[in-house]
Amino acid sequence: MKLLTCQSLTKQYGDVRALDSVDLTLEAGRPIALIGPNGAGKTTLFSVVCGFLQASKGEITVLGHKPGSGELHGRLAALPQDAQLDPRFSIGHQLVMFARLQGYSSKQANREVRRVLEQVTLPETFTMKPESLSHGMRKRVLFAQTLLGEPELILLDEPTAGLDPPNVKVMRRLISEAASGVTFIISSHNLDELEKVCSSVVHLENGKLKGIVDIDNAKTSGYLTLVMVELPEPIEQITRALGAISGVKEVSFSSPNRFLINYDVNVNATIDLNVMQILIANDWKYRQLVNGRTLEDQLYA
Amino acid sequence: MSNVFLLARYELSRMFMTRRGLLSLTAFALIWFLVLRYAIFGAAQFFMADAPGGLIVSFFNSTTINNLMSWQIPELAVFWVISLYLFPVFCIMLTADQTASDKARGTLRLIHLRATRDGIFFGRFAGQMLILIMLIGLALMTTVVLVMLRDSSLLIPTLRLSFILFVNLIVVLLPYTALMAWVSAMARSARQATLYAVIIWIIFSLVSGWLASRFPELLMLDKVLPGAQISNLLQVSGWNTLLLAYIPIVQTVVLLFLGRLMMQRSDW
Repeated sequence: MKLLTCQSLTKQYGDVRALDSVDLTLEAGRPIALIGPNGAGKTTLFSVVCGFLQASKGEITVLGHKPGSGELHGRLAALPQDAQLDPRFSIGHQLVMFARLQGYSSKQANREVRRVLEQVTLPETFTMKPESLSHGMRKRVLFAQTLLGEPELILLDEPTAGLDPPNVKVMRRLISEAASGVTFIISSHNLDELEKVCSSVVHLENGKLKGIVDIDNAKTSGYLTLVMVELPEPIEQITRALGAISGVKEVSFSSPNRFLINYDVNVNATIDLNVMQILIANDWKYRQLVNGRTLEDQLYA
Repeated sequence: MSNVFLLARYELSRMFMTRRGLLSLTAFALIWFLVLRYAIFGAAQFFMADAPGGLIVSFFNSTTINNLMSWQIPELAVFWVISLYLFPVFCIMLTADQTASDKARGTLRLIHLRATRDGIFFGRFAGQMLILIMLIGLALMTTVVLVMLRDSSLLIPTLRLSFILFVNLIVVLLPYTALMAWVSAMARSARQATLYAVIIWIIFSLVSGWLASRFPELLMLDKVLPGAQISNLLQVSGWNTLLLAYIPIVQTVVLLFLGRLMMQRSDW
């Protein structure tokens, strides 16, 4: 099913083009990452998809409808980057209103809100006001509101921004648990996080679509990533040793201690064993040997 | 449509379940107590001491005073005069934040995922009108009680006249609330919305005054701003007051149209 189609989508603020003729089609399935540097147009794209912003030019449909259309209520959910709940009302009161707007009766809405708060392991916040929560808890409550009902598409704009590592882990677990039956589109700067959760990546830069990367494919496409504990020998020596393995086309290094090995799968299908042998023979301590490339290597190599 | 109703009802909880709403209500209650005790009660005594065509009328020589003196229940006559000027001020203060702060905070985005822009705009407007209707009702009830304390035999005419005033005041406040709905859609805080309203008011008054002085055929521009009919309202009584209702109703339709347009086009 087509989640999203954009044709020449453009959003202009004065002279600045936040989105510049973006053509994009996304299908339902596993989580999709939306990445790009600051000002790339990620939040703008999210905002246009949700109907918060109007496109200056081009066409866009979300689940077959125009953004902001009543047909999307309950089917499209989002965690906007800076959105806050009203500090004057309890969380339960506001989420019940959201559920009621999605068509639930008062009793059903209460039950549904308790369910989603339970899902994010914050059932006690029902009667609390947003201001009494920590930043991490607030993010989880806002994530909970995206789970109300049975959405088909959930957009998360920087869901882990400003969170400490334990909360990042919780958020990642919540997304993974909720990912069956719904497609997430997640924007973030944290490539490591996205790599753990998403299966494909939409790459924006300066408002333009730079490409779509399939992470799963890239994981098994002739690359090995070796992360050392430390560099016991000069980089050139390690590079030379790894480059001597049969089938290796290129070895590149990235700071502080990572080697990316590009090899021909048809020539050497057991290259990981060869790498291990070299490491053991030279008594070089390694931290990770990963099949494939990191997202960072794929996008910014 | 059900979302409009839900959002309107939510506005009531904003007034009656939040500290800010309750503070506004307390301020209203205190001011109204003073108005009731000193203005309405005092002035009614004053009016009763005179008869139509008596000393007060001859002193002011005013058709407005003469008209008010003819009212069977002086408390309601004074209520009418005070309400026509006081309620619009309350209305502007109470309804300034229909969408502004929610937009600045991003809460409106969360609501918009579940309600259309029209639903939010008209739901908030309807909610504010519900609050004002309740306040008008409460203020009228206290005045009716005041009348009953003086002369309980006036119950029927008091209720009849109260109903006329109730309907009239709702109609009077419609364009003020619509104006605040429009400026609130432009602003990012209640204060900013109030400032926009004041600026629009002053600029339009100046421009329409100047145009009317240059081109007498444009005198009708006087009718464009909310409250344009208030001075004329004081010269009629009973259901005749509704003869001027077309002015605030047309103003409301125009202002809601402008507000809706702003709401549809604005980026959140």
